[in-house]
Amino acid sequence: MLVFDQLRKEDRKLRWIAVGVLFGLLILLGGLWQVQVFARKEYEQDLKVQAFRKVRVPSARGKILDRNGELLAENQPRFVVNLYLEDLRSIFRQQYNHTVTNATFLAEKGGKLTRADRSRLSADVRYQVVSNIVWQVSSMILPQPLVLQARAFSRHYNESLALPLPVLANLTPEQVALFMERGGENPGVQLEVQPVRHYPNESLAVHLLGYVQREIIHETDEEIAFEDKIPDLVGKAGLEAMFDAELRGTPGYRSILVNNLGYRHKEEIWSDPEPGLNLALTLDINVQKTAEAALRSTGANTRGAAVVLDVRNGDILAMASSPTFDPNQFLYGISHEAWAEINDPKLKPQLNRATHGAYAPGSVFKIVTGLAFLEADLVDPMQEIFAPGYYQLGRRRIDDLAPPGNYNFKNAFKKSSNFYFIEYGLRAGPQKIIEMGNRFHLGEKTGALSPRQEQAGYFPAVGQKYKKDGSRWLDGDTANLCIGQGELTLTPIQVAVMTAAIANGGKVFKPRLVTALLDEGQQTTVKKFPSEVVNDLQVSKANLDIVRAAMLADVEEKGGTGEKAYVPGMNVCGKTGTAQVRVAKGMDHITWFASFAPFEAPRYAVVVMIESGSSGGGTCAPMAREIYKTLQKIESGTAPLKRDQIAVLPSPLQRREN
Amino acid sequence: MFNTSIKEHHSRVEWQMIAALLLLMLIGVAFIYSASSANDAKSHLHIRQLIFYIVGIGAAVGVCLVPYHSWSRFATVIYWLCIVALIMVFLFGVERLGAKRWIKLGFFQFQPSEFAKLGVLCMLANYLSRPVDELRNPAIFMKSLALIALPFVLILKEPDLGSALVLFPVGLVIMFVAGVPLRYLWKFVGGVGILVVLLLVDILFAPPKWQIKLEEYQRYRLLVYFGKDFAPKDGTPEARERARKLQRDKSYNVQQALISVGSGGLTGKGWRQGTQNSLGYLPRAVAHNDFIFSVIAEEKGFMGSVIVVILYTVVLFTGIKIAGHARDRLGRLLAVGVVALLFSHVFINIGMNIRLMPVTGIPLPLLSYGGSSVLCSLIAIGILQNVYIYRRSY
Repeated sequence: MLVFDQLRKEDRKLRWIAVGVLFGLLILLGGLWQVQVFARKEYEQDLKVQAFRKVRVPSARGKILDRNGELLAENQPRFVVNLYLEDLRSIFRQQYNHTVTNATFLAEKGGKLTRADRSRLSADVRYQVVSNIVWQVSSMILPQPLVLQARAFSRHYNESLALPLPVLANLTPEQVALFMERGGENPGVQLEVQPVRHYPNESLAVHLLGYVQREIIHETDEEIAFEDKIPDLVGKAGLEAMFDAELRGTPGYRSILVNNLGYRHKEEIWSDPEPGLNLALTLDINVQKTAEAALRSTGANTRGAAVVLDVRNGDILAMASSPTFDPNQFLYGISHEAWAEINDPKLKPQLNRATHGAYAPGSVFKIVTGLAFLEADLVDPMQEIFAPGYYQLGRRRIDDLAPPGNYNFKNAFKKSSNFYFIEYGLRAGPQKIIEMGNRFHLGEKTGALSPRQEQAGYFPAVGQKYKKDGSRWLDGDTANLCIGQGELTLTPIQVAVMTAAIANGGKVFKPRLVTALLDEGQQTTVKKFPSEVVNDLQVSKANLDIVRAAMLADVEEKGGTGEKAYVPGMNVCGKTGTAQVRVAKGMDHITWFASFAPFEAPRYAVVVMIESGSSGGGTCAPMAREIYKTLQKIESGTAPLKRDQIAVLPSPLQRREN
Repeated sequence: MFNTSIKEHHSRVEWQMIAALLLLMLIGVAFIYSASSANDAKSHLHIRQLIFYIVGIGAAVGVCLVPYHSWSRFATVIYWLCIVALIMVFLFGVERLGAKRWIKLGFFQFQPSEFAKLGVLCMLANYLSRPVDELRNPAIFMKSLALIALPFVLILKEPDLGSALVLFPVGLVIMFVAGVPLRYLWKFVGGVGILVVLLLVDILFAPPKWQIKLEEYQRYRLLVYFGKDFAPKDGTPEARERARKLQRDKSYNVQQALISVGSGGLTGKGWRQGTQNSLGYLPRAVAHNDFIFSVIAEEKGFMGSVIVVILYTVVLFTGIKIAGHARDRLGRLLAVGVVALLFSHVFINIGMNIRLMPVTGIPLPLLSYGGSSVLCSLIAIGILQNVYIYRRSY
């Protein structure tokens, strides 16, 4: 062979040359083997790092459905116009060359361009070209053409060149048509569709659903160095926040091959986004609608809350808070006016008053007081005592709206006699009442929503000798407690749970809002949330029946304070409450109506609370009546209900029909 | 008998070498096309290279027509013409990227340093083909060194350190084969070696004030090659940051060439599929000339690299064979000189693609784009073939 022939040469000097050459070539081969075979992975990695950008693609957010599969939150296609900068490179170059060859331009620069001049010029040219296109495209579609901000553009160019530049978002169908007609001629411009969160019922149940906002990507994020992110939507409140991870799903990844300047060259999909899970709620959209309409019946700015529970399992059929706001407006920049409106310091539309507002329960609490002294066996409910129309405690006189007269338990309850309940409450002593209140888990978060979205309110502990402010607990405080004033504040959801426990024979439920997480694609239930009993009151059935009968009388009998909640055929049982609270300018009223129905086989608990109402019976009871009417309609099948969609658990509202 | 022998020595060329060369030229055209068309569809650099090949082959055939001992009488003239051309570069040269290496001749720019390599080769071979006894005279050795040193200094001034340095291995190999006493050569090599080490130590480690003035870019290339941190240890953070950026910029070519070669893997990404080149990571200005090997290695992988190396091996070893068959000392020295010249180019160029060697502007014979380089390589091949053809022409 050629090589070995030379190595075996007689000629010593040429042999040395041959050895030298061979040695050199072997070194080269060794080096090549090292780089191309041995250390190949390392260089492939380097190549990837410099030439590939990982792009996170948000997945479609899961839907939120009511108990019958009605949509509460969904995704809608949104039309956007994007500009692909890599398609403009030849224009950039042309424009650049045009400017550079311009004699006057050169003369200005003294005939010679420094490196810095050149890079500044090319940045200027890019901005010019892009802002012209943005202006042209937007002038066809919008009445007022858009002006591209130089800083925004340079940020996009420097940080996410591989992604298209968003030009227009949220195009209406008319605008889409306009664009199709004339806008497509511009280079690099494309119309695209993005899914976006939509709440079809606008403000309905906004306090439960919450809202989403576009994610703000922090540059300090560690990941940012390796991937570009298309901003996702993040749940900011309510269920959207609580179940953000589940609703969001798994983002997909695309890899974009970029050239040495960072322009997109080719795209490749690594993984498709997996849509988020759907959230099935216990809510009934019709009940919710009625509850919200009822709250608004005294004006859009009525401050109040309404809760409807299924007393048999603690399901929340409706939870309304007023005033409300439209969660759709949070998505793409909220106006200052709207922002000021939803942050109104008095109306506090963002506050979920059902779980996050704690109020003095007023006479509604007489349910607990009554049950406490009945359980203490201190009173014959049939025995009448005389009430003078006030209660004299030492030097303090406590007003009583019930007229002077003789009262037994039922009459005292339905007329809401302060005298009667203070008299027996004092006899039983504060500990009995507090202990009874604790059995209802008053003053504790119920767990209806996430701990952040609920407050505990306040209820004293057994054996407590001091008040919140540190002063001693006196008889006057006990008297106040008996009529639901003073040392306690409750949230409407707590009152609802309490009322439901009375109705269902003593079971204190953890209110349930979410029944299941569903995988829509696979038609499976990923996770179920069973209803939970937190406590059993363990009170005698006889005493419960006495209270229930008194509640029925409050609505059904003439002269009951809850008369206005009367619904024929529904046998509503209720208790009104009007608590006096001290506010900056004098006194204000917190009015309540706590109720359940039907008397003989309770299924629903409805609690309505209105701030600054006139009275529980006058303001809240009629609202409860509207809710009961709707419930009645649903039970008789006259309310519109779609049943063809998935119902995760058999609905108690349907069960009756079957 | 007589007839056949005449016919024999006039018709026989070294076919193995020619086959290898044709394959190399084919590869050259294919990959210059790949390297240049990725960025510019209308590029016709490969066509130009093809024309250079044809012109070069013509020149090589021309060289072969006249027996080498006839034209070698003009070696001195050729040498001095080259020197004049180098001086011309100095006076009227065209400057590109801070280096004056080209002379413009109408539509054609040529690079005298390429031709100077051949000039020195012929001159030395001619000069040292005298009887061996005379070579013991140190004056002859000194004069040979001077013959190398003159173009060396001129080329160094362009500046083109790579081309200048190539003169030494070529000269040394010719002297070695000619029979210059080894002790002279060792002394010289040793002396130069010590000098180089001192120079490197100075450049790499000495404080700035003590450093020998080198061209900035040469200093950076050496720093990059030896993986030295550019950032001054006691510098301000901004100065260090600036130095780091400079380091990234300066080591960019080498780094990208390495990524190209390495990511080619065993079998490569396929012809015209190399992303390093098409996406512009491998700088466009050098992809088709100094770094053409990176393009080949990326697209054809280790297999492709090995094929290229094997083709050069065939050329080099047939060259050594030709040296062995040469009919006289002149032919032998010419052949050995050409082998040394080609080998230096191949080793330095491929070596710099895989960071075995610092980056220099040494082209890869026949594969790199460039008229002067192709022309000189093919003339060198012509010389080899000439020595082979006239090996028995008494």
